Amino acid sequence: MGRPDLNRRQLLGGLGGLFVAGSFGFAALGTGADALAAGSQTRVRYWNLFSGGDGYNMIAMLDAFRKSTPDIAVKDSTLQWGNPYYTKLAMAAAGSRAPDLSVMHLGRVAGFAPGRLLDPWDMDLLAKYGLNEADFNPALWKRAVIDGTLYALPLDIHVQLCFYRKDVLKKAGLLGDDGRIVPVTSTQEWFDVLKAAKKATKSGLQTLGLHANDQNFSWWFFVAFYQQLGGTYFDDARTQVTFDEDKATQVLEFLRQHVTDGYAQAGAADAEQFINGAPFTWEGNWSVPVYNGAKIDYGATPLPPVFGTQATHAESHSFVLPHQTDRSGATNEAAHRLAAYIVKNALVWAEGGHIPAYRPTLSSAAYRRLTPQNEYVSAMDHQATEPKVWFAGSTGTLASRIGPVIAASNLGSAKPDATARRMKSVLEELLVMKNPMDGRTAAQGGAS
Amino acid sequence: MSTTSAETALVPARTRDIAVAGRTDSLRDRMGRRLQHGGWFIAPFLALFVLFVIWPVLRGVYLSFTDANISGVGANFVGLDNYREALDDPLVWDSLGHSAYFTLLVVPCITVLAFLMAMLAHHIERAKWLWRLCFFAPFLLPSTVAANLWQWLFNPGTGMVDHVLGIETPWLTDKAYAMPAVVICTLWWTVGFSFLLYLAALQAIPDHLYEAAKLDGANAWHRMLHITLPMLRNITGLVVALQILASLQVFDQAVVMYDFQPGPEESTRTFVQYTLEEGFTSYRVGYASAISIIFFVIIASVAFARMWLLRKREEGAR
Repeated sequence: MGRPDLNRRQLLGGLGGLFVAGSFGFAALGTGADALAAGSQTRVRYWNLFSGGDGYNMIAMLDAFRKSTPDIAVKDSTLQWGNPYYTKLAMAAAGSRAPDLSVMHLGRVAGFAPGRLLDPWDMDLLAKYGLNEADFNPALWKRAVIDGTLYALPLDIHVQLCFYRKDVLKKAGLLGDDGRIVPVTSTQEWFDVLKAAKKATKSGLQTLGLHANDQNFSWWFFVAFYQQLGGTYFDDARTQVTFDEDKATQVLEFLRQHVTDGYAQAGAADAEQFINGAPFTWEGNWSVPVYNGAKIDYGATPLPPVFGTQATHAESHSFVLPHQTDRSGATNEAAHRLAAYIVKNALVWAEGGHIPAYRPTLSSAAYRRLTPQNEYVSAMDHQATEPKVWFAGSTGTLASRIGPVIAASNLGSAKPDATARRMKSVLEELLVMKNPMDGRTAAQGGAS
Repeated sequence: MSTTSAETALVPARTRDIAVAGRTDSLRDRMGRRLQHGGWFIAPFLALFVLFVIWPVLRGVYLSFTDANISGVGANFVGLDNYREALDDPLVWDSLGHSAYFTLLVVPCITVLAFLMAMLAHHIERAKWLWRLCFFAPFLLPSTVAANLWQWLFNPGTGMVDHVLGIETPWLTDKAYAMPAVVICTLWWTVGFSFLLYLAALQAIPDHLYEAAKLDGANAWHRMLHITLPMLRNITGLVVALQILASLQVFDQAVVMYDFQPGPEESTRTFVQYTLEEGFTSYRVGYASAISIIFFVIIASVAFARMWLLRKREEGAR
């Protein structure tokens, strides 16, 4: 206890010094390792938002690319899906710290200020690595082009599907000779199917998982059926709202009848109920790995064409080039090469449920053998998409404004005709709103 | 301070003497003396406080006068436009109403419940620690855990609440029950904090007061009414004030319970949630800053109103 102060100070000082020196050491080690790994390679920084089964498949594709192209080092970062991802991407692109390549939902490209936050794709480079316009579905390609320039390279489309339990439907006599669900072409037929299926369902389970209280699913399902009726949102110049309240009311009545007739239970755990024996659930195709993993006997078709024509909601994962002031050279070329490789080698991706955008994969025998994928592949030709405006796209402003309105009608409290009017007024408000990214309205944005 | 002699006795007489003596010094002398040692100790905190609180607040005020977007480039000065728009925006008023409704439900419930729980834990003789632990433990959970737990409990069909009570209340999908569901979750989760404040206050009431009352023939009810409650008046004021301020800022449990959506018929979109949506979904950082400044003013006025009321009461008591 002679000089406790001195000793303690020395000790603390020493520890502090060690800590600081240590952290510098680690930092140096980090950059060193990075540099070592890069070596003579070109490094591509790639951001994506895939977790779960998608994340696993994406990493498998990246590993395949690394193996086939050892002179390119891919540094991939997976960020939280949804708005956190887009926030980070926008800030990085604005602050010149953008990755060389990243993933975006196609519907959100128009809102991401193409030309300012996004750089265009170099068609010659894409052609060099084997991708041309002819390799894609024309409607999909058109959505990726803004003002005549390609800003997004579609990897897939992901669609809303009608999943059904074959074991339950067989009991109800709803399976055809081919082992698939009997075709449905009107709302009457659809509710007859539900009625028959309900009788064959274990008690305590709902007949259809509808996500009736979820703003995103409600909006996606609406988009699908509204398209079946041929409804539109805006005129081509984006100056007029052309939303058809009568058609919208029809769709809203249809959606809500599932709840009022007791086929769908609002707020239920839809996926779990389906696995436990509920005959139907409407879900995105990303649930294919989940239901495959659960080892249940099921099929999946596009949402039933109850209003006469085929159409199911489709959004698309696409590659984009976030804006860099000095985008050029080997790194930019490597980004093109990586994206082209993944688009062309997306069979693993397709196994995860997504419909590949690359046509040769789509028509390959290996893809056609996948079930239930081969049952809904036609969805590629019947895409119902959100309008092409800056405020649309996955979990964007449009979905967050209009989705809750639809959900309120699904739950039975808001009347469908009043809901249709409110939807129209939301569209009117958004149409005159300026895109905060570039200060232009949809009409001035030229996104067509 | 309050009128009771017991509390005055708790304040060490010395502090007061120093304060009186110090009045002759200049402000600079006093500050200098305090900073001599204390200054260095608070410096790390002060640096972080300025960096993460003061600077963002000032920056927020500036941004609220611009049309800044999330990317941080190309912002124009727009004067009071954002504020004008906010006052006309029905969603601002709706979400403010939801936050106020939540506060109105939570504050009385939590105050009464915390008091009753504290009385129970204070008077119970056996396994005292167990009661305290049980009442306080939920407070230690992160909000996401608490909200997820209650989301399951309230789940239609499979939830335990409906199952145990033998009812079919659509807690999470009906406008009428949506906010009360958040309130119930919040009560369970945060009552422990107020409970602890009450318990400490109960233990600080000197026994001799009760003994004296007993000698005078006061029964348990009288003792509660004339000793316990008056002695807890200050702590009640504190609990109510803290709860009002915390409840107005309700956000995390509500968004987690409703999956980051505004709830059935948009009935649980709180003010903080709307600010977040504007800033990070619609990317209108300027507008989001403006409405958060409006909210800041509202909360600050509540805090000032409380201070003012308290001072009035203290003056009245003097």
